[in-house]
Amino acid sequence: MSPAGLQRVFHRRSKLPHVLFALHSALATLCVVGPGYKWWGASAQPFVLGLPFSLAWAVGWLISVFASLLLYERWTRHCEDSERGE
Amino acid sequence: MASEGQLFFGLSTDAWIVSGVSLLYLLGCLWVGMRGGRDASDSAVGYVAGDRAMGPLLMYFVIGATVFSAFSFLATPGLAYTSGAAVFYVIGYGLVGFIPFYFLGPRAARAGRDRGYITQAEMVAGECGHRAMAGTMALVSALSFVPYLALQIKGAGLVVERLTEGHVPQWLGGAVCYAVVLAYVLKSGVMGVGWTNVFQGILMMGLAWAFGLWLPYKLYGGVGPMFERIYEVKPELLSAPGTKSWQWFISAGIISMIGFSCWPHLFMKAFSARDDRTLRRTVVFYPTFMIFLVPIFLIGFAGVLFPVPPPSPEQVLPHMLMSLDLPAVVVGLFCAGALAAGMSTGDAIVHASASILVRDGWITALGRKLTSTEERRWVRIFVVILMLVSYVLAVFYEGDLVSLLLYAYGPIAQFLPGILIALCGRRRDGVAVHIAMLAGVAVCVGLKAFPEWSPYGLHEGLVGLALNVSVLFALGFVRRATPVSARA
Repeated sequence: MSPAGLQRVFHRRSKLPHVLFALHSALATLCVVGPGYKWWGASAQPFVLGLPFSLAWAVGWLISVFASLLLYERWTRHCEDSERGE
Repeated sequence: MASEGQLFFGLSTDAWIVSGVSLLYLLGCLWVGMRGGRDASDSAVGYVAGDRAMGPLLMYFVIGATVFSAFSFLATPGLAYTSGAAVFYVIGYGLVGFIPFYFLGPRAARAGRDRGYITQAEMVAGECGHRAMAGTMALVSALSFVPYLALQIKGAGLVVERLTEGHVPQWLGGAVCYAVVLAYVLKSGVMGVGWTNVFQGILMMGLAWAFGLWLPYKLYGGVGPMFERIYEVKPELLSAPGTKSWQWFISAGIISMIGFSCWPHLFMKAFSARDDRTLRRTVVFYPTFMIFLVPIFLIGFAGVLFPVPPPSPEQVLPHMLMSLDLPAVVVGLFCAGALAAGMSTGDAIVHASASILVRDGWITALGRKLTSTEERRWVRIFVVILMLVSYVLAVFYEGDLVSLLLYAYGPIAQFLPGILIALCGRRRDGVAVHIAMLAGVAVCVGLKAFPEWSPYGLHEGLVGLALNVSVLFALGFVRRATPVSARA
């Protein structure tokens, strides 16, 4: 998607970033605290970068939640700045 | 560590070096902590909330170092050592348990700025219009904080005892470390806690990574070879939930996640932040602190195939270090790192619980009038009292550290409905929230005493929370049907 297209989708009043962030957080909760761990992340193999899959699963979600928080905060900040500019 | 050096006063040369490095660390903490509160005002807001002026760096370390405690440095490797992948629940709850703070933190901070709140209970009671609730929350917080603080003191004592070859007993090691904490908390309040947390956070993160990568390399030739070797000998330890049940794994994760997002000593840092952006950035960068758990896990797994088992699982790391013939300075540095982990949490807890008891219990719930100076003095008195009570518990408690922490989460988790209603609710029925909270806490305490009554072996906090929410809904319906004039 072009930068202009992205701006249209993620404009200040768009609900999409909130929905995406909420869905991602709910999925992360299911996968690291809820039964998602049992369904998809419990196995010891394959080893990922020397770590058992069960640990790599948790670390992977850690990185993913960090990235999602980072993007969401950037968007929140952008909205606040543009509101202040008006 | 070689221990057969020359003896002075019963301690070998190496034990003196270890004690010396730890003492240097304690002096460093004391210096940083005493200077930390120089710029804060003399008011209660200055002592409890740092004049609402903490910037991003301070907030990052305050939250991170407060979360990572003696539990992280000692009990987490202990759990990895005994139960393997069961320990991964710690990453799970820590990771998602802090996300609600992204939204709740700024709301709480705004309410604090507008209406002068500096504690969580004061805010919930104020927003729900029911002052007595502050008293209940203060009491529950203090009762949950005492075992948590005891855990930190016990952890410090354990480390010192083990690394001085038993010459400095647990009770004395804990007492010396927490005398330092007492000094800087009394002098500098939350800013002393904040600046020592920066110092302690950097120290413990650096040391955790150093030991977490070095131990597997030294014992197995690397992290990958270590896990391959464990997989050959004890494969059950590498699949979640290790040697624990899924019931334990999920229910411990959920209750810890809820309790974690409600911890009063973390939540009230919302009132210390300079602005909303600072708070949000703290949440965003918090996972970078969480990654610090990985080397801690590696340390625990490194002990799994260690030839001589430790005296208790929580001592796996000090035990390995003592058996590896390391230079005494390295062992001393580890000792400092473990003490930093415990003290950075202990100082925040004791400061928060004393502030809560005075501000919420005495002023808000009982309606006593105190000047700012009197309030500050009484918070200091309660710091001393709480420290003494926790110390006695730490010295006489014989159980393991993880169960002590899991007990503390149960009653604290009962605050969640109240916090959500206070900050996001449109109808705020303080009486209903208070009754539901009391019911939840009563169930927690009851099931702790009689765990066989807990349905499906669930954590008592979860059962309490289910009852809490049910009572809240039931009272909501009943009281909505009752005319306002006829309500309590």
